[in-house]
Amino acid sequence: MIKKLFHSSGKFNIFWRVILPVIGLCIFSLVLLKSTSQQTPFFNSSLYRQLVWIFMGILTIWSLQYIRIQFFYEYGYYFYFILLLFLIITFFMPSISGAKRWIILGPISFQPSEAGKLIVIFTISKFLSDRHDMSEVTKIIGITLGLAIIPAILVFKQPDLGTAIIYMAITIPMLYWVGFRPFHLFVIVAPVVSILAASNLLLFYSWIFIMLVIIFLSHPKLWQGVMIFILNISFGTLTSFIWNHLYDHQKQRVLTFLDPARDPQGTGYQILQSITAVGSGGLTGKGFGNGTQTHLRFLPVRDTDFILSVAGEEFGLIGILIILSLFTMLCYWMITYAQKITNKFASLSIVGFTSLLFVHIFINMAMTIGIFPVTGLPAPFISYGGTFLLTCMVLIGLTNNILNQNI
Amino acid sequence: MRLYQPIPSNRKTTLISASVVLMSLLCIRYIDLQILNYGKYQDRANSNSIRQIILNAPRGIIFDRNGLPLVDNRPTYDLMIIPIDVTEKFDYQLLSNNIGMPSEELKKEINKGKKSIARFRPKLIKRHVNFEIMSILEEYKMSLPGIIFSENPARTYVSDSNISHALGYLRTVNDKILKDAPKGMNYLIDDVYGAAGLEKMYEPYLRGNNGLEYHRVDIYSRDHGVVSDEDRYSPKSGQSLTITIDSQLQSFVESKIEGHRGAVIAMDPTTGEVLVFASAPDYPLKSFVGPIPSDLWGSLNTDTNRPLFNRGINGLYPPGSTFKLVAASLIMESELINPYYKVQCNGVYTLGDRDFHCWNLAGHGQMNLKSAIKYSCNIYFYKVIQGLIFSQWSDMAYGFGYGKKTGIDLPFESKGIVPTESYLNEKYTRRGWSTGNLLSFVIGQGDVLSTPLQVLQMINLIATKGHTFQPHLNMKSEKIPVNLELNPKTWTFLQDALYDVVNEPDGTGRNAKIQYGGKIWGKTGTSQNPHGDHHSSFLGYMTTETGKIFTLYIIIENGGKGSEIASSLARDIFNYYADSQSAIVVND
Repeated sequence: MIKKLFHSSGKFNIFWRVILPVIGLCIFSLVLLKSTSQQTPFFNSSLYRQLVWIFMGILTIWSLQYIRIQFFYEYGYYFYFILLLFLIITFFMPSISGAKRWIILGPISFQPSEAGKLIVIFTISKFLSDRHDMSEVTKIIGITLGLAIIPAILVFKQPDLGTAIIYMAITIPMLYWVGFRPFHLFVIVAPVVSILAASNLLLFYSWIFIMLVIIFLSHPKLWQGVMIFILNISFGTLTSFIWNHLYDHQKQRVLTFLDPARDPQGTGYQILQSITAVGSGGLTGKGFGNGTQTHLRFLPVRDTDFILSVAGEEFGLIGILIILSLFTMLCYWMITYAQKITNKFASLSIVGFTSLLFVHIFINMAMTIGIFPVTGLPAPFISYGGTFLLTCMVLIGLTNNILNQNI
Repeated sequence: MRLYQPIPSNRKTTLISASVVLMSLLCIRYIDLQILNYGKYQDRANSNSIRQIILNAPRGIIFDRNGLPLVDNRPTYDLMIIPIDVTEKFDYQLLSNNIGMPSEELKKEINKGKKSIARFRPKLIKRHVNFEIMSILEEYKMSLPGIIFSENPARTYVSDSNISHALGYLRTVNDKILKDAPKGMNYLIDDVYGAAGLEKMYEPYLRGNNGLEYHRVDIYSRDHGVVSDEDRYSPKSGQSLTITIDSQLQSFVESKIEGHRGAVIAMDPTTGEVLVFASAPDYPLKSFVGPIPSDLWGSLNTDTNRPLFNRGINGLYPPGSTFKLVAASLIMESELINPYYKVQCNGVYTLGDRDFHCWNLAGHGQMNLKSAIKYSCNIYFYKVIQGLIFSQWSDMAYGFGYGKKTGIDLPFESKGIVPTESYLNEKYTRRGWSTGNLLSFVIGQGDVLSTPLQVLQMINLIATKGHTFQPHLNMKSEKIPVNLELNPKTWTFLQDALYDVVNEPDGTGRNAKIQYGGKIWGKTGTSQNPHGDHHSSFLGYMTTETGKIFTLYIIIENGGKGSEIASSLARDIFNYYADSQSAIVVND
């Protein structure tokens, strides 16, 4: 088994189109952390630690070039069951600040759900690449979703809503990549939208209209179309029914998401301060180290979850556009390479990686500007934090590896 | 595991397009925040982090004529609490005992603060805590987490004398004051302003200009220093004011009239400077810190002795016998009546069916003008007034300063009343009054009303033979001459008569005579008071051996005859002043 993990070839190329945006994002991260670390001594600062993590990330990328990527195909399901086992074990571990996400063995502790992101991608890639007959639509989609939902539920219970969302969100582009019709994916996504849209009557009516148009244009069988439509409407109405039976504090949490100004001192407060930071940055920003929201600590968790607000405040819209462009470049090249790769498993894995990065950056940004609830998903390569940075580096290393082997 | 069909490139295009569309959604939101609503969020960020700090300007110091400070400033402290910092350890009882607020109320306030958005910001609990209490609370800071103090200048009264009515008091600016304040005063809610006396009169000079600083503060309200790119104004303390009061003499006078109701004013008629300005009872400016507390103000306001009432310029009394000098002047001027013409005083004078009494019911016997002043005989004046022209008498009273404001630099001065024909016609109708009324007027009773300061202004004119100045308290005030042109013989006559009142052994003012240090002139007064005992008054002046002229008016409500309490009080004051003057000579 160990033999199977490494390949013999010692030479590899660096795919700069993928690596360069990552380098750009890491540099941006260091600049932002330099700004937030102004008052802390260097060796205690998150800047210093992030530098160490980036260095370790580079080592990781380098060492990953000697991995046989087929290894993950061959042992994909084993990894998956180990993941489930580990996730269950976390429930018997002591909780750290209210969450049971870690497996703690004396001085060593790790978070299986983080590696789980890669394992879920590999498992789904393996499952989908093994299907040669794509006509069993319901079965394949059902199993794929099932593969994601089981760990997602375990992670959600930890509780870690963000990671659960990631597990679910990456399946959609992967299903699309193997050739399922957008209509089928619409069927999966529609209920979620129905539930969210139920909060506002006008929104709900607009959504019903959009559903009708999509169903009509997709020419499904009549009974399918009608059923999808009725099911979605039921979801929506059920939601408002359940809503009316929620306890006040439960309602409060949901409402805070929908209207941050409702609870300015809770999570809504964080969002308001973040929006204020971003908005007051303007086009060009207040300049490096001059963000008042950042430095006077109005901005919460500024090194991790809200680091993009620091970017927005100090470097303005221009800074944000630079970050967005770097991410778009990264995603563009990863997808472009994925399309060229002849190995289906490898190709699907890269699409999964790309989705993971994209969903992370999208949700993190959306959260800092108040269009998504605070879920604690960090921004890839930019947020301070070793574990997630290493996950992202592994993902880039594996991509570069796949592109080298070009199987 | 080989891929049999390659992945169609339209899938790549769709995925990339989808991600670009989603990224664009974010971009739209960023543009909305950072470009379209930039101003709004910039303001919000600034109000988050920038606090305007008012630097209170100390009010100008007030000195007495000898340079002794009367009103100074000392720091007082506003007690504030940052609600978020208050823990279970917080000793509400300790705080309550020191600042006199019920601990339940404190607890309620703080708990309310903890729930509010501003829970990170200091909440004002009590203004104007004095240094002693501040020190105690600072000492127990461990049991009072979250308390902070901010410093403010407040008035402190450092003199032995009160001078309450001249100095006046401060009050706190409220909505109404803010609305009515002249532009340029830049009052803020909870500022203090001069509400009475000199504090009010010289408000624009004394107040100074508050400074302003913008400080950057963090979410815990911790100060991160001055924001350098915002304007900064240093506070400019108010200009100092030197007043004409002699605080030692004032203090002496205040101690003498404590327990009485009345007023004592003394002046230098050669300059118009007011040396003593006392109104009793007064109110204790020293007993509170900062502006006058509203409960104290309320109780002063309802006190039946009316301590807030400035009797010196607002007390309207019948001037009594001192007013006979008006008729005496007219007799000397008009030559309608010979001053040596004699009137027989039997103690009673009957006009029509009404009896008018002299204060001496036994009668004074043969009286001419001079002896009528000396003995303060009423009968003489009852008779002669009928030989004079009423309007000339009114004009003469007006010339002496009655019926109009003296123009002293204090707010709300009263005018008093000098009856004229048109006044009486209006008040009583044309047929409603008669000569009988005039008989009261001439001896300073009836409709005649004057303030103590007006009466004093009359003696100022007599002591300077018609060339005195408008009374003032500000040393730097322009000297505005007040002249009354009368025949020099008239002045001499009046002065001689007043000299006799005090210096003849049987003069009514003999109690005011002092043994050495100066010569005294004077006139007693006993104002009839329908509500109780007569008001006792003394009007007079002294020339000291150093050549100073010192005029004095005393009125003690319900004090009885002027020849008694008011005259002996006058003697004490003359003595004190004479001693202080000779002390200066010795020192020189």
